Parts: sequence; structure tokens; C-alpha cells
Amino acid sequence: MILQQIVNGLSIGSVYAMIAVGYSLVYSVLNFSNFAHGEILMIGSFMGFFLLSVLKVPFPITLALSMVGAGVVAMAIERFGYRPLRLRKAPTLYFMIAAMGFSVFLQNLAIIVFTPNFRTYPQLFTLEPILLGQVAMGRLDLLIFFISLLSLSILSLFIYKTKIGTAIRATAYNYRVASLMGINPDIVIGIVFFLAGGTAGLGGMLFGMKYTTCPWMGALTIKAFIAAVVGGLGSLPGAVLGSFILGMVETFASGYVSSSFRDLFSYAIMIIIIIFLPSGLLGKNTSEKA
Amino acid sequence: MVYYDGKGDQLEYINVLKRLIYEDKVVGVIGQNTSGNQIAMAPIAEEGKEPIISTFATNPKVTVPEAGKLMRYTFRVCFIDPYSGEVTAKFVSQDLGAKTAAVLFDISSDYSTGVKDYFVKSFEALGGKIVAMEALKAGDVDFRPQLTKIKEANPDVIIMPLMFKEVALSANQARELGIKTTLVGGDGWPSLQLLEIAGPAVEGSYYLDHADVADPDLAEFRTAYEKEYNRPIEITAIMGHDAVTLMKAAIEKAGKAEPEAIRDALENIKDVKVLSGTINMDPATHNPMNKAAVIIKIENGKFVFFKKFQPAQ
Repeated sequence: MILQQIVNGLSIGSVYAMIAVGYSLVYSVLNFSNFAHGEILMIGSFMGFFLLSVLKVPFPITLALSMVGAGVVAMAIERFGYRPLRLRKAPTLYFMIAAMGFSVFLQNLAIIVFTPNFRTYPQLFTLEPILLGQVAMGRLDLLIFFISLLSLSILSLFIYKTKIGTAIRATAYNYRVASLMGINPDIVIGIVFFLAGGTAGLGGMLFGMKYTTCPWMGALTIKAFIAAVVGGLGSLPGAVLGSFILGMVETFASGYVSSSFRDLFSYAIMIIIIIFLPSGLLGKNTSEKA
Repeated sequence: MVYYDGKGDQLEYINVLKRLIYEDKVVGVIGQNTSGNQIAMAPIAEEGKEPIISTFATNPKVTVPEAGKLMRYTFRVCFIDPYSGEVTAKFVSQDLGAKTAAVLFDISSDYSTGVKDYFVKSFEALGGKIVAMEALKAGDVDFRPQLTKIKEANPDVIIMPLMFKEVALSANQARELGIKTTLVGGDGWPSLQLLEIAGPAVEGSYYLDHADVADPDLAEFRTAYEKEYNRPIEITAIMGHDAVTLMKAAIEKAGKAEPEAIRDALENIKDVKVLSGTINMDPATHNPMNKAAVIIKIENGKFVFFKKFQPAQ
């Protein structure tokens, strides 16, 4: 059974990873937690739903379109919500408040436009698991796991091996000096939000496929937030590490302690990390974090 | 007739009930089907002296919050959880021959926790053994850790007194883990969305309900409903109709449409024929006496009548 629980934990962790990475990416460059991230996830999920079930677009194209769509929405939020604040040199707290405002707005807009009913993606796979000895792996879970790893690898290749990626890392390291070096922060930040939105949209669609889509599914990002904090806000490898740790902790807490206490454990590790290791496992040290 | 949507939120229900009592000044209220919310509304009805009839909130505490105390203004048209726990236990041990059972329940729901307790009590009294008891919270979506433990315990049946969304998700995940055990549930199951999300996963499962939606005796009602609202009938329609029928009968018996008179009429009302049976109100508990339960099987993607359980008179 322990092997099965490990598989469960990895599976849950891979979904959190995709969302936490986008979260950390924005944090690394702008130093604030984008609470509207969940709603971008939700928009990606609805897009995927309508493309797949209403317009009957083939699955891979739907995946790509949802990612792009969500990325664009994220960029729009940045352009109209956060950039004005950035240009005015507003304190980080204002960004957070704006983010919360977007979050509430988009959620309620979704409730009005899409109705509060939850939507079910068409089932693309049979429920027959793939069996490895005693361990059962759902087909959809395997797909989600691989897509997650693939997208994380592509993202990290982009960030560490391309010129734009270097520009992003430079801006994250020191915003002012990077702009002095000739890097246009507006463009870099726009790209960052597109990437973050893209991964969120992808995560949203995969999550919707597994667990249904509804206007308030963005609440899932609180888990991504915990994962990002545990791994170190601002660090991408940290976000991934934190996500898998969270996935494992949740699974083992449910499996071996009590399923009633699962969330207790999730929040507890976040509190412990904040108290004893505030920059997280892999994070950078900053004095002010919003 | 005035109506409000409580949106599944306890505070919202309390607010709208107060509005109905003090602003709209209605003579009677038709309640809803979740025990947790109905329990919260009962004291408001008491204070406002407004009779309220719940459609199918089944936790006993809705009308009798503790031994010796009765909510004078709350009534219901359905049976209560001790009965459904008992029937479920009888059904799985006698009809399905189950000797061991696992339970997956919702710890945040009065209804689910109540049914779980009553089922366990009755099942053990019949000689059955509970081999796993796992909790989840409504709103959670991943139950694989709990289901893995259940799989390990290898029960004859898995009892799931949950609402249809959690049933759908956990049924899908159970099948994906290779669990082939029969699933048995309660009156939180019936919903077309259950089939939409988890049709193949719940094929061959059973659940307990207040009435058989496909009952030939109800054909006339069914046709009228489907014609008027252009959608297939569900159990909520039947129980809602029953609650309104009871309210009407009480007003007729009282001779006037006044909250106090209606309340008195409801307390001792007898022989009111409703779609789900006949209502004979028990004045001590405000629960209808001797309401039958039906077991429905999900067969070929449809809800099919399996068996009726009549309480001992």
C-alpha cells in the first residue's frame, strides 16, 4: 500500500507543481503573491471545457489553445491591473489588494456567465487502471503527470537556456539594474505573466479533466501557495519541490494518520516553514514578502 | 408564493428565513433538503413562530436536537437517518450478503456523519464488521489516499453516504485504483450529474431513496412535471411536491392560513396522501411515521427500482 500512496502523492503533487510554478514565477519578478492566479487557472479550465465538449476541438489543440488563452488573460490582468501600480511605484501591498480584487471579480463574473453548475469534461480514457504489481495508476493521472513534467522541463529550459529566460532571471534578481542594462521590464514582465498564465491554464484544464470545472475552482491555488512557500517563494525548483512535498504530506497524512486531518497537516507545514525557515527550502532571502 | 435561494450556505439560509418571516410575513415555509442547514434554521423558525416543513433533511436533530427537546415549528415529510442507516445495513447484509463493510463519509456534513453512525450501529448489530472508516470533506476533490486504505482492507461493500459530486469523484477514483467492490449510498446520490460525471464508475451500485422516481404510480406527476419544466424529474421534485401538499392539507385542516394554526394542524395531521407515501405525523418528534425506503440500483446508466423496505408497524 505504501507504494500506492507514493504514487498518489506524486500524482497530486504534479498538479500542484504546475500551478505553484506560475505562482513563484510572478513572485520572483514582482515580489508579490498573485492571488488572481487561481482565476486564470479557472478561465483556462473553462476554455478547455468549451473547446473540447462544445466545439469538439481535438485534445492537443485544445490544450494549446487553453494555455495560450489563459496566458493572454494573465497578460491582460498585468497590463491593466498591475502595470499602472508598478509605474506609480506602489508598495507591494497594493498589488496584493489589486490581485484579490481581480480574483473576486473574475470569480463572480464566471458565476454569472458560466452559471454555478460544475462542468464535466468528456471522459477521454477508460477508468481501467494500469497495474504495476499491486499499484494501480489511472490513465488520466499518468497523462497529467507526464504533461506536468514535460511542461515544467520546457519551462525550465526556456528560463535557463534562452536569452529571454536570462532576461527574466536578471529582472528577478534585480529589477533596476536589469533595466539599466537595457532589458525592457515591461516586455519581460509581460512574458512572465504569459508563461505563468499558460502553466495555470494548463493546470486548470488538467485539473478540470480529473475533478470537474466550476467558477470557484481557483481556491485550489491556496495549495499552490503553500507549496511555493514551502519550496521558497520566488524559486521555481523550490515550487516544484514544495509541490511534491505537499502532495506526499497530504497523502500520507490522509493515509496513515487520519483523512480528517489532511488540511491540518498542509497548513501546519507551511506555518512550520515560515517560522523556522522563512525563505523556504530553496528560496532567496528578502526582508519584505507580500 | 415567495422563494429564495439559500445557495447551500448556512448563513444565507438563516438570512432568507428571517426575511420570509419578518419581511414577507409568510404563513408557512417549505424548507430544503440538507440537514446541516435545516438544523441551523430550526431555532429561527422557533423564534419567529413560523412553521417550516423540510423536504428531505434526514438527520434526527432537525426536529429533536436533543433528547426531550422538540422544535415545535419544524416538521418534515421524509424518514430519518437512523432508519436509513438501519435499512442500508439490512440491505447490504441480507440482500448483498456482505459480512464486512468500509465507510467513506463526509466529516463536514451532519447528514453524512449521522448516517455513518447509524449504519455502523445497525451493521454491527447484525453481525457485520466495519473494516475501514475514512473521512473526506465536501469540497475536496482527491480521495485516493482514503480509497487506497479502503482497498487495502478489502471490504465486501463500500458505503458512501455522500452528496452526488463527492460520490462521482470518489467512484471514479476508486475504479481507477482498481477497486471493483460494490458501492452503496444514500439519498444524497440521486442526480443526473452523478451519471454524467461517473456513469461507468457507479454502474451496478445501489442507493437508498425516499421514493422510486420511475414508479408507475407516479407516471401522471412525472409527465406533468416534464411537460411544464422541460427536464427529467428528480427526487427533489417529488419531495418538494410532498412538502407543499402537506402544507396545503394543514391549512385546510386548520381552516385558516395563520402560522400558529397551521403549526397545530401539522402536529397531529393524519392520512395525508403524498407522492412518496402517506404522512401520519408523530406529534412527539414531528417526523412522519412509517415511511418506506426504496433501494434503487444503477443499471445500464439508469436508476432502476430494486426493493422497498417497509418499517415494522
